[in-house]
Amino acid sequence: MKIDVSVIQLLQVATVLCLSPLVSGIVTKIESRLQGRTGSRILQPYYDLYKLFKKETLVTQDSGIVFYLGPFVAFTCYLIVPMLIPVLTNFPLPLGYTGDILGGGFILALAGFAVALAAIDSKGPFAQLGSSRAMTFGALIEPAILFVTFTVALITSTDLPYAEAATIRSSFTQVIRPSHLLAMSAFFLVVLNDTGRIPVETHASTIEFGMIDEARTIEFSGPIFAIAKWGSFMKQMILYVILMNVFTVPWGLAGTKTVVSVLEAIAVLMLKAIAIGFLFALIDNSFSKLRLFKVTELTATAFLISVLAVLALFVGGG
Amino acid sequence: MNILSSVPSEYLGLSSALAVLVLLTEFAMLRVQFSRSQVKLYAIQSAIVTVLAVFIAVERDIPGLFIVAIISLILKVIAIPKIVMRLLDQTKVELVSSHRISVPSMILLALLLGAVGMFVIDRLPFHSHSLPTSGLSVSMAVILVSFLLVIFRSDVVSQAVGFFSLENGVSMASLVVAAGLPLVVETAFFFDLLVAVVVFGVLMRVHHQRTSTLSTEGLNRLRG
Repeated sequence: MKIDVSVIQLLQVATVLCLSPLVSGIVTKIESRLQGRTGSRILQPYYDLYKLFKKETLVTQDSGIVFYLGPFVAFTCYLIVPMLIPVLTNFPLPLGYTGDILGGGFILALAGFAVALAAIDSKGPFAQLGSSRAMTFGALIEPAILFVTFTVALITSTDLPYAEAATIRSSFTQVIRPSHLLAMSAFFLVVLNDTGRIPVETHASTIEFGMIDEARTIEFSGPIFAIAKWGSFMKQMILYVILMNVFTVPWGLAGTKTVVSVLEAIAVLMLKAIAIGFLFALIDNSFSKLRLFKVTELTATAFLISVLAVLALFVGGG
Repeated sequence: MNILSSVPSEYLGLSSALAVLVLLTEFAMLRVQFSRSQVKLYAIQSAIVTVLAVFIAVERDIPGLFIVAIISLILKVIAIPKIVMRLLDQTKVELVSSHRISVPSMILLALLLGAVGMFVIDRLPFHSHSLPTSGLSVSMAVILVSFLLVIFRSDVVSQAVGFFSLENGVSMASLVVAAGLPLVVETAFFFDLLVAVVVFGVLMRVHHQRTSTLSTEGLNRLRG
Protein backbone atom coordinates (compact mmCIF):
# COMPACT_ATOMS: atom_id res chain seq x y z
CA MET A 1 0.00 0.00 0.00
CA LYS A 2 1.38 3.40 -0.95
CA ILE A 3 1.13 6.60 1.01
CA ASP A 4 0.93 10.06 -0.46
CA VAL A 5 4.14 12.14 -0.22
CA SER A 6 2.38 14.89 1.71
CA VAL A 7 1.36 12.32 4.32
CA ILE A 8 4.98 11.21 4.62
CA GLN A 9 5.93 14.87 4.93
CA LEU A 10 3.56 15.23 7.89
CA LEU A 11 4.72 11.91 9.27
CA GLN A 12 8.30 13.25 9.42
CA VAL A 13 7.13 16.10 11.66
CA ALA A 14 4.91 13.76 13.69
CA THR A 15 7.80 11.33 14.24
CA VAL A 16 10.02 14.03 15.68
CA LEU A 17 7.13 15.51 17.67
CA CYS A 18 5.94 12.27 19.24
CA LEU A 19 9.13 10.24 19.60
CA SER A 20 11.56 12.93 20.80
CA PRO A 21 10.50 12.63 24.48
CA LEU A 22 10.98 8.86 24.21
CA VAL A 23 14.52 9.29 22.82
CA SER A 24 15.29 11.71 25.64
CA GLY A 25 13.86 9.26 28.20
CA ILE A 26 15.92 6.38 26.84
CA VAL A 27 19.12 8.45 26.80
CA THR A 28 18.48 9.57 30.38
CA LYS A 29 17.90 5.94 31.36
CA ILE A 30 21.16 4.85 29.70
CA GLU A 31 22.97 7.68 31.45
CA SER A 32 21.59 6.61 34.86
CA ARG A 33 22.61 3.00 34.25
CA LEU A 34 26.13 4.17 33.33
CA GLN A 35 26.29 6.01 36.63
CA GLY A 36 25.09 2.94 38.52
CA ARG A 37 21.63 4.34 39.25
CA THR A 38 18.32 2.72 38.38
CA GLY A 39 17.03 5.91 36.78
CA SER A 40 13.51 6.98 35.96
CA ARG A 41 11.21 5.18 33.52
CA ILE A 42 11.89 5.73 29.84
CA LEU A 43 8.38 7.16 29.49
CA GLN A 44 9.03 9.70 32.25
CA PRO A 45 9.33 12.70 29.84
CA TYR A 46 5.74 12.04 28.67
CA TYR A 47 4.49 11.97 32.28
CA ASP A 48 6.41 15.18 32.97
CA LEU A 49 4.85 16.92 29.99
CA TYR A 50 1.35 15.66 30.97
CA LYS A 51 1.84 16.92 34.52
CA LEU A 52 3.10 20.32 33.37
CA PHE A 53 0.22 20.79 30.94
CA LYS A 54 -2.25 20.36 33.82
CA LYS A 55 -0.52 22.91 36.05
CA GLU A 56 -1.01 26.65 36.19
CA THR A 57 1.47 29.13 34.71
CA LEU A 58 3.07 31.54 37.13
CA VAL A 59 4.56 34.71 35.67
CA THR A 60 6.49 37.46 37.43
CA GLN A 61 4.84 40.87 37.30
CA ASP A 62 7.77 42.34 35.35
CA SER A 63 7.45 39.92 32.42
CA GLY A 64 5.87 40.99 29.16
CA ILE A 65 4.39 39.33 26.09
CA VAL A 66 7.81 38.07 24.88
CA PHE A 67 7.96 35.75 27.87
CA TYR A 68 4.77 34.01 26.69
CA LEU A 69 5.61 33.99 22.98
CA GLY A 70 9.24 32.80 23.11
CA PRO A 71 8.65 29.08 23.78
CA PHE A 72 5.87 28.93 21.17
CA VAL A 73 8.03 30.55 18.47
CA ALA A 74 10.80 28.08 19.30
CA PHE A 75 8.36 25.15 19.25
CA THR A 76 7.09 26.22 15.81
CA CYS A 77 10.66 26.45 14.53
CA TYR A 78 11.37 22.91 15.72
CA LEU A 79 8.24 21.77 13.85
CA ILE A 80 9.45 23.37 10.61
CA VAL A 81 12.99 21.92 10.54
CA PRO A 82 11.91 18.23 10.18
CA MET A 83 10.31 19.16 6.84
CA LEU A 84 13.69 20.21 5.44
CA ILE A 85 15.83 17.27 6.52
CA PRO A 86 15.71 13.57 5.60
CA VAL A 87 13.99 12.08 8.64
CA LEU A 88 12.29 9.06 7.06
CA THR A 89 12.88 8.97 3.31
CA ASN A 90 15.95 9.02 1.13
CA PHE A 91 14.05 10.65 -1.74
CA PRO A 92 13.29 14.36 -1.41
CA LEU A 93 9.78 15.26 -0.27
CA PRO A 94 7.92 18.28 -1.75
CA LEU A 95 9.09 20.71 0.95
CA GLY A 96 12.56 19.14 1.22
CA TYR A 97 14.12 21.60 -1.19
CA THR A 98 12.56 24.74 0.29
CA GLY A 99 15.47 25.18 2.66
CA ASP A 100 19.12 24.12 2.64
CA ILE A 101 21.45 23.45 5.56
CA LEU A 102 21.90 27.18 6.13
CA GLY A 103 18.12 27.66 6.08
CA GLY A 104 17.65 24.93 8.68
CA GLY A 105 20.50 26.48 10.69
CA PHE A 106 18.78 29.87 10.59
CA ILE A 107 15.48 28.40 11.81
CA LEU A 108 17.26 26.58 14.66
CA ALA A 109 19.08 29.83 15.50
CA LEU A 110 15.74 31.69 15.53
CA ALA A 111 14.42 29.14 18.02
CA GLY A 112 17.45 29.66 20.26
CA PHE A 113 17.04 33.42 19.92
CA ALA A 114 13.33 33.25 20.89
CA VAL A 115 14.04 31.17 24.01
CA ALA A 116 16.90 33.51 24.96
CA LEU A 117 14.64 36.56 24.59
CA ALA A 118 11.93 34.90 26.67
CA ALA A 119 14.52 34.06 29.31
CA ILE A 120 15.67 37.69 29.42
CA ASP A 121 12.05 38.85 29.65
CA SER A 122 11.49 36.56 32.64
CA LYS A 123 13.73 39.01 34.56
CA GLY A 124 15.31 36.15 36.52
CA PRO A 125 19.07 36.62 36.92
CA PHE A 126 19.89 32.94 36.33
CA ALA A 127 17.75 32.81 33.20
CA GLN A 128 19.51 35.89 31.88
CA LEU A 129 22.89 34.42 32.74
CA GLY A 130 21.94 31.22 30.94
CA SER A 131 20.80 32.96 27.77
CA SER A 132 23.90 35.14 27.78
CA ARG A 133 26.11 32.06 28.06
CA ALA A 134 24.13 30.14 25.46
CA MET A 135 24.43 33.00 22.97
CA THR A 136 28.17 33.42 23.60
CA PHE A 137 29.02 29.76 23.17
CA GLY A 138 26.57 29.49 20.27
CA ALA A 139 28.50 32.23 18.49
CA LEU A 140 31.78 30.43 19.16
CA ILE A 141 30.62 27.15 17.62
CA GLU A 142 29.14 28.95 14.57
CA PRO A 143 32.40 29.08 12.51
CA ALA A 144 32.68 25.28 12.73
CA ILE A 145 29.09 24.89 11.43
CA LEU A 146 29.89 27.26 8.55
CA PHE A 147 32.97 25.32 7.51
CA VAL A 148 31.05 22.02 7.66
CA THR A 149 28.50 23.65 5.34
CA PHE A 150 31.30 24.76 3.02
CA THR A 151 32.59 21.19 2.88
CA VAL A 152 29.13 19.88 2.01
CA ALA A 153 28.76 22.60 -0.61
CA LEU A 154 32.13 21.78 -2.18
CA ILE A 155 31.46 18.04 -2.24
CA THR A 156 27.90 18.12 -3.57
CA SER A 157 27.90 21.59 -5.23
CA THR A 158 24.62 22.24 -3.41
CA ASP A 159 24.02 22.61 0.27
CA LEU A 160 20.91 20.51 0.49
CA PRO A 161 20.85 17.85 3.23
CA TYR A 162 19.26 15.32 0.83
CA ALA A 163 22.08 15.77 -1.70
CA GLU A 164 24.79 15.26 0.95
CA ALA A 165 23.12 12.08 2.22
CA ALA A 166 22.71 10.78 -1.35
CA THR A 167 26.39 11.52 -2.09
CA ILE A 168 27.51 9.53 0.95
CA ARG A 169 25.25 6.61 -0.02
CA SER A 170 26.47 6.67 -3.62
CA SER A 171 29.80 4.89 -3.06
CA PHE A 172 32.27 3.65 -0.48
CA THR A 173 34.89 6.10 -1.76
CA GLN A 174 32.67 8.97 -0.65
CA VAL A 175 32.55 7.54 2.87
CA ILE A 176 36.30 7.19 3.35
CA ARG A 177 37.43 10.42 1.70
CA PRO A 178 39.18 12.51 4.37
CA SER A 179 37.07 15.63 3.86
CA HIS A 180 33.88 13.70 4.63
CA LEU A 181 35.39 12.01 7.69
CA LEU A 182 36.62 15.35 9.03
CA ALA A 183 33.34 17.19 8.36
CA MET A 184 31.49 14.33 10.06
CA SER A 185 33.70 14.51 13.18
CA ALA A 186 33.42 18.31 13.30
CA PHE A 187 29.62 18.11 13.13
CA PHE A 188 29.70 15.43 15.84
CA LEU A 189 31.48 17.91 18.13
CA VAL A 190 28.97 20.62 17.18
CA VAL A 191 26.05 18.37 18.16
CA LEU A 192 27.86 17.38 21.36
CA ASN A 193 28.06 21.08 22.14
CA ASP A 194 24.50 21.92 21.12
CA THR A 195 22.77 19.13 23.02
CA GLY A 196 24.18 20.41 26.30
CA ARG A 197 26.89 17.79 26.61
CA ILE A 198 29.83 20.12 26.47
CA PRO A 199 32.51 19.42 29.03
CA VAL A 200 31.17 22.06 31.42
CA GLU A 201 27.47 21.57 31.78
CA THR A 202 25.97 18.70 33.71
CA HIS A 203 23.14 17.54 31.50
CA ALA A 204 19.75 18.19 33.13
CA SER A 205 21.22 19.20 36.46
CA THR A 206 20.10 21.91 38.85
CA ILE A 207 23.52 23.29 39.73
CA GLU A 208 23.48 26.90 38.59
CA PHE A 209 27.25 27.23 38.09
CA GLY A 210 27.36 24.77 35.24
CA MET A 211 24.04 25.73 33.69
CA ILE A 212 23.89 26.94 30.15
CA ASP A 213 20.85 25.76 28.22
CA GLU A 214 18.88 24.54 31.21
CA ALA A 215 19.19 27.88 32.99
CA ARG A 216 17.17 29.63 30.31
CA THR A 217 13.94 27.88 31.22
CA ILE A 218 14.37 28.23 34.97
CA GLU A 219 11.55 30.80 35.35
CA PHE A 220 9.03 28.93 33.19
CA SER A 221 6.20 26.96 34.76
CA GLY A 222 3.08 25.08 33.73
CA PRO A 223 2.13 24.64 30.05
CA ILE A 224 4.71 27.20 28.88
CA PHE A 225 7.43 25.16 30.58
CA ALA A 226 6.01 22.03 28.97
CA ILE A 227 6.27 23.66 25.54
CA ALA A 228 9.84 24.81 26.23
CA LYS A 229 10.81 21.35 27.51
CA TRP A 230 9.19 19.58 24.57
CA GLY A 231 11.02 22.01 22.28
CA SER A 232 14.37 21.05 23.77
CA PHE A 233 13.53 17.32 23.35
CA MET A 234 12.72 18.04 19.69
CA LYS A 235 15.89 20.08 19.21
CA GLN A 236 17.98 17.15 20.50
CA MET A 237 16.14 14.72 18.20
CA ILE A 238 16.54 17.05 15.19
CA LEU A 239 20.27 17.39 15.78
CA TYR A 240 20.59 13.61 16.15
CA VAL A 241 18.67 13.15 12.87
CA ILE A 242 20.89 15.61 11.00
CA LEU A 243 24.01 13.96 12.40
CA MET A 244 22.82 10.45 11.49
CA ASN A 245 20.79 10.83 8.32
CA VAL A 246 22.90 13.53 6.66
CA PHE A 247 26.47 13.03 7.85
CA THR A 248 27.12 9.71 9.54
CA VAL A 249 24.83 6.81 8.62
CA PRO A 250 22.31 7.84 5.94
CA TRP A 251 21.26 4.22 5.44
CA GLY A 252 18.03 2.52 6.49
CA LEU A 253 15.76 5.27 5.20
CA ALA A 254 12.61 4.50 3.24
CA GLY A 255 13.32 4.21 -0.47
CA THR A 256 9.70 3.73 -1.54
CA LYS A 257 6.36 5.19 -0.54
CA THR A 258 4.93 1.95 0.89
CA VAL A 259 3.65 1.78 4.46
CA VAL A 260 6.05 -1.03 5.37
CA SER A 261 9.18 0.83 4.30
CA VAL A 262 8.12 4.01 6.12
CA LEU A 263 7.39 2.04 9.32
CA GLU A 264 10.75 0.31 8.95
CA ALA A 265 12.42 3.70 8.56
CA ILE A 266 10.83 4.88 11.84
CA ALA A 267 12.10 1.77 13.65
CA VAL A 268 15.62 2.15 12.22
CA LEU A 269 15.60 5.84 13.09
CA MET A 270 14.80 5.03 16.72
CA LEU A 271 17.57 2.42 16.86
CA LYS A 272 20.08 4.85 15.39
CA ALA A 273 18.96 7.64 17.77
CA ILE A 274 19.39 5.32 20.76
CA ALA A 275 22.84 4.25 19.54
CA ILE A 276 24.00 7.83 19.12
CA GLY A 277 22.44 8.84 22.43
CA PHE A 278 24.34 5.98 24.09
CA LEU A 279 27.56 7.25 22.52
CA PHE A 280 26.90 10.79 23.76
CA ALA A 281 26.03 9.60 27.26
CA LEU A 282 29.21 7.51 27.28
CA ILE A 283 31.35 10.50 26.22
CA ASP A 284 29.58 12.74 28.72
CA ASN A 285 30.27 10.31 31.57
CA SER A 286 33.84 9.43 30.58
CA PHE A 287 35.30 12.90 30.90
CA SER A 288 35.40 15.10 33.95
CA LYS A 289 33.73 18.46 33.76
CA LEU A 290 36.02 21.40 33.09
CA ARG A 291 36.01 25.09 33.91
CA LEU A 292 33.55 27.22 31.98
CA PHE A 293 36.23 29.01 30.00
CA LYS A 294 37.57 25.70 28.70
CA VAL A 295 34.57 25.62 26.35
CA THR A 296 36.64 27.57 23.85
CA GLU A 297 39.01 24.59 23.63
CA LEU A 298 36.18 22.33 22.44
CA THR A 299 34.92 24.91 19.96
CA ALA A 300 38.48 25.57 18.74
CA THR A 301 38.88 21.82 18.17
CA ALA A 302 35.61 21.65 16.20
CA PHE A 303 36.73 24.67 14.16
CA LEU A 304 40.15 23.10 13.52
CA ILE A 305 38.62 19.85 12.25
CA SER A 306 36.08 21.61 10.02
CA VAL A 307 38.73 23.87 8.48
CA LEU A 308 40.92 20.81 7.89
CA ALA A 309 37.94 19.26 6.07
CA VAL A 310 37.88 22.16 3.59
CA LEU A 311 41.70 22.11 3.31
CA ALA A 312 41.60 18.36 2.66
CA LEU A 313 39.34 18.98 -0.33
CA PHE A 314 41.83 21.33 -1.95
CA VAL A 315 45.26 20.06 -0.90
CA GLY A 316 44.73 17.03 1.35
CA GLY A 317 43.78 14.42 -1.22
CA GLY A 318 39.99 14.92 -1.47
CA MET B 1 39.96 22.99 -10.15
CA ASN B 2 36.88 20.85 -10.27
CA ILE B 3 36.54 19.03 -7.00
CA LEU B 4 33.41 17.21 -8.07
CA SER B 5 35.15 15.19 -10.73
CA SER B 6 38.02 14.25 -8.42
CA VAL B 7 36.54 11.79 -5.96
CA PRO B 8 39.61 9.91 -4.73
CA SER B 9 39.78 6.17 -5.31
CA GLU B 10 39.55 3.84 -2.32
CA TYR B 11 43.33 3.53 -2.03
CA LEU B 12 43.97 7.28 -2.28
CA GLY B 13 41.04 8.13 -0.02
CA LEU B 14 42.13 5.75 2.73
CA SER B 15 45.80 6.75 2.57
CA SER B 16 44.91 10.46 2.63
CA ALA B 17 42.60 9.83 5.58
CA LEU B 18 45.47 8.13 7.43
CA ALA B 19 47.79 11.04 6.58
CA VAL B 20 45.23 13.55 7.89
CA LEU B 21 44.90 11.43 11.05
CA VAL B 22 48.65 11.83 11.62
CA LEU B 23 48.17 15.60 11.35
CA LEU B 24 45.28 15.48 13.82
CA THR B 25 47.37 13.62 16.42
CA GLU B 26 50.02 16.31 15.97
CA PHE B 27 47.41 18.96 16.79
CA ALA B 28 46.29 16.89 19.76
CA MET B 29 49.87 16.81 21.08
CA LEU B 30 49.91 20.58 20.89
CA ARG B 31 46.73 20.76 22.90
CA VAL B 32 46.96 18.14 25.66
CA GLN B 33 47.93 19.17 29.14
CA PHE B 34 50.03 16.29 30.44
CA SER B 35 53.38 15.03 29.24
CA ARG B 36 52.21 11.44 29.57
CA SER B 37 49.29 12.03 27.20
CA GLN B 38 51.75 13.57 24.75
CA VAL B 39 53.90 10.46 24.83
CA LYS B 40 50.83 8.25 24.34
CA LEU B 41 49.73 10.41 21.41
CA TYR B 42 53.22 10.06 19.94
CA ALA B 43 52.88 6.28 20.15
CA ILE B 44 49.48 6.48 18.43
CA GLN B 45 50.87 8.76 15.72
CA SER B 46 53.78 6.39 15.08
CA ALA B 47 51.32 3.50 14.90
CA ILE B 48 49.32 5.33 12.22
CA VAL B 49 52.50 6.02 10.22
CA THR B 50 53.36 2.31 10.54
CA VAL B 51 49.89 1.31 9.31
CA LEU B 52 50.30 3.73 6.40
CA ALA B 53 53.63 2.11 5.48
CA VAL B 54 52.10 -1.39 5.61
CA PHE B 55 49.13 -0.18 3.55
CA ILE B 56 51.40 1.24 0.83
CA ALA B 57 53.60 -1.87 0.92
CA VAL B 58 50.58 -4.11 0.30
CA GLU B 59 48.80 -1.94 -2.26
CA ARG B 60 51.85 -0.84 -4.26
CA ASP B 61 53.82 -4.05 -3.77
CA ILE B 62 56.97 -2.59 -2.19
CA PRO B 63 58.27 -5.36 0.12
CA GLY B 64 61.06 -3.16 1.51
CA LEU B 65 58.45 -1.10 3.30
CA PHE B 66 57.49 -4.09 5.46
CA ILE B 67 60.93 -4.02 7.07
CA VAL B 68 60.65 -0.26 7.56
CA ALA B 69 57.22 -0.81 9.15
CA ILE B 70 58.57 -3.50 11.50
CA ILE B 71 61.51 -1.32 12.62
CA SER B 72 59.15 1.64 13.06
CA LEU B 73 56.74 -0.52 15.09
CA ILE B 74 59.44 -1.75 17.44
CA LEU B 75 61.27 1.54 17.76
CA LYS B 76 58.67 4.29 17.54
CA VAL B 77 55.50 2.62 18.79
CA ILE B 78 56.99 0.55 21.61
CA ALA B 79 60.59 1.46 22.53
CA ILE B 80 60.69 5.27 22.47
CA PRO B 81 57.38 5.85 24.34
CA LYS B 82 58.50 3.29 26.92
CA ILE B 83 61.87 4.98 27.42
CA VAL B 84 60.32 8.45 27.76
CA MET B 85 57.67 7.08 30.15
CA ARG B 86 60.40 5.52 32.28
CA LEU B 87 62.26 8.84 32.36
CA LEU B 88 59.02 10.52 33.41
CA ASP B 89 58.53 7.93 36.18
CA GLN B 90 61.92 8.90 37.63
CA THR B 91 61.08 12.60 37.72
CA LYS B 92 58.45 14.31 39.80
CA VAL B 93 56.22 15.90 37.17
CA GLU B 94 54.47 19.05 38.33
CA LEU B 95 50.91 19.66 37.16
CA VAL B 96 51.56 23.11 35.73
CA SER B 97 50.50 24.11 32.25
CA SER B 98 53.43 24.65 29.96
CA HIS B 99 51.43 26.47 27.28
CA ARG B 100 53.06 29.80 26.52
CA ILE B 101 49.86 31.09 24.88
CA SER B 102 46.25 29.97 25.34
CA VAL B 103 45.20 26.71 23.71
CA PRO B 104 42.62 28.19 21.26
CA SER B 105 45.05 30.81 19.94
CA MET B 106 47.73 28.15 19.61
CA ILE B 107 45.36 25.92 17.64
CA LEU B 108 44.42 28.82 15.33
CA LEU B 109 48.09 29.69 14.82
CA ALA B 110 48.95 26.06 14.08
CA LEU B 111 46.02 25.85 11.66
CA LEU B 112 47.26 28.91 9.80
CA LEU B 113 50.82 27.59 9.64
CA GLY B 114 49.65 24.14 8.56
CA ALA B 115 47.48 25.65 5.81
CA VAL B 116 50.38 27.74 4.51
CA GLY B 117 52.60 24.66 4.43
CA MET B 118 49.96 22.60 2.64
CA PHE B 119 49.26 25.20 -0.05
CA VAL B 120 52.96 25.91 -0.65
CA ILE B 121 53.79 22.22 -1.17
CA ASP B 122 50.70 21.78 -3.35
CA ARG B 123 52.23 24.20 -5.87
CA LEU B 124 55.21 21.88 -6.45
CA PRO B 125 55.15 20.15 -9.85
CA PHE B 126 55.57 16.73 -8.37
CA HIS B 127 54.14 13.28 -8.96
CA SER B 128 54.54 10.13 -6.94
CA HIS B 129 53.38 6.62 -7.70
CA SER B 130 53.06 5.51 -4.08
CA LEU B 131 50.92 8.21 -2.51
CA PRO B 132 49.08 11.30 -3.77
CA THR B 133 51.07 14.55 -3.61
CA SER B 134 48.60 15.64 -0.93
CA GLY B 135 50.45 13.26 1.42
CA LEU B 136 53.49 15.47 1.05
CA SER B 137 51.41 18.59 1.81
CA VAL B 138 50.03 16.96 4.95
CA SER B 139 53.48 15.85 6.12
CA MET B 140 54.75 19.41 5.60
CA ALA B 141 51.90 20.59 7.84
CA VAL B 142 52.89 17.94 10.43
CA ILE B 143 56.49 19.18 10.39
CA LEU B 144 55.48 22.85 10.77
CA VAL B 145 53.02 22.10 13.60
CA SER B 146 55.67 20.07 15.42
CA PHE B 147 57.94 23.15 15.21
CA LEU B 148 55.16 25.09 16.94
CA LEU B 149 54.96 22.36 19.59
CA VAL B 150 58.67 22.78 20.30
CA ILE B 151 58.43 26.58 20.36
CA PHE B 152 55.21 27.15 22.30
CA ARG B 153 55.40 24.49 25.01
CA SER B 154 57.98 25.29 27.64
CA ASP B 155 58.85 21.84 28.96
CA VAL B 156 61.53 19.38 28.00
CA VAL B 157 59.12 16.52 27.26
CA SER B 158 57.14 18.59 24.74
CA GLN B 159 60.36 19.52 23.01
CA ALA B 160 61.52 15.91 22.85
CA VAL B 161 58.10 14.67 21.68
CA GLY B 162 57.95 17.56 19.20
CA PHE B 163 61.27 16.51 17.73
CA PHE B 164 60.26 12.83 17.57
CA SER B 165 56.95 13.64 15.89
CA LEU B 166 58.82 15.87 13.44
CA GLU B 167 60.62 12.69 12.46
CA ASN B 168 57.21 11.06 11.94
CA GLY B 169 56.35 13.87 9.54
CA VAL B 170 59.62 13.37 7.69
CA SER B 171 59.14 9.62 7.42
CA MET B 172 55.62 10.19 6.08
CA ALA B 173 57.09 12.57 3.49
CA SER B 174 59.64 9.91 2.56
CA LEU B 175 56.76 7.46 2.00
CA VAL B 176 55.43 9.88 -0.63
CA VAL B 177 58.64 11.03 -2.23
CA ALA B 178 60.60 7.81 -2.19
CA ALA B 179 58.64 4.80 -1.00
CA GLY B 180 61.27 2.55 -2.54
CA LEU B 181 64.09 4.35 -0.75
CA PRO B 182 67.07 2.04 -0.23
CA LEU B 183 66.76 0.33 3.12
CA VAL B 184 70.20 1.57 4.19
CA VAL B 185 69.01 5.18 4.06
CA GLU B 186 65.86 4.34 6.03
CA THR B 187 67.92 2.53 8.64
CA ALA B 188 70.18 5.57 8.89
CA PHE B 189 67.05 7.63 9.67
CA PHE B 190 66.16 5.27 12.49
CA PHE B 191 69.67 5.44 13.93
CA ASP B 192 69.37 9.20 13.80
CA LEU B 193 66.22 8.90 15.84
CA LEU B 194 67.90 6.59 18.35
CA VAL B 195 70.69 9.11 18.83
CA ALA B 196 68.05 11.81 19.36
CA VAL B 197 66.39 9.65 22.03
CA VAL B 198 69.69 9.27 23.86
CA VAL B 199 70.43 13.00 23.60
CA PHE B 200 66.97 13.98 24.82
CA GLY B 201 67.14 11.39 27.59
CA VAL B 202 70.40 12.90 28.84
CA LEU B 203 68.99 16.41 28.41
CA MET B 204 65.87 15.57 30.42
CA ARG B 205 67.89 14.01 33.23
CA VAL B 206 70.50 16.76 33.42
CA HIS B 207 67.86 19.47 33.23
CA HIS B 208 65.83 17.82 35.97
CA GLN B 209 68.88 17.36 38.18
CA ARG B 210 70.04 20.95 37.81
CA THR B 211 66.68 22.72 38.12
CA SER B 212 64.53 19.95 39.67
CA THR B 213 61.77 20.74 37.18
CA LEU B 214 61.00 19.83 33.59
CA SER B 215 59.94 23.34 32.69
CA THR B 216 62.34 25.36 30.55
CA GLU B 217 61.00 28.70 31.80
CA GLY B 218 64.03 29.13 34.10
CA LEU B 219 66.44 29.00 31.16
CA ASN B 220 65.51 32.58 30.31
CA ARG B 221 67.65 33.66 33.26
CA LEU B 222 70.74 32.42 31.43
CA ARG B 223 70.51 35.26 28.94
CA GLY B 224 73.44 37.68 29.16
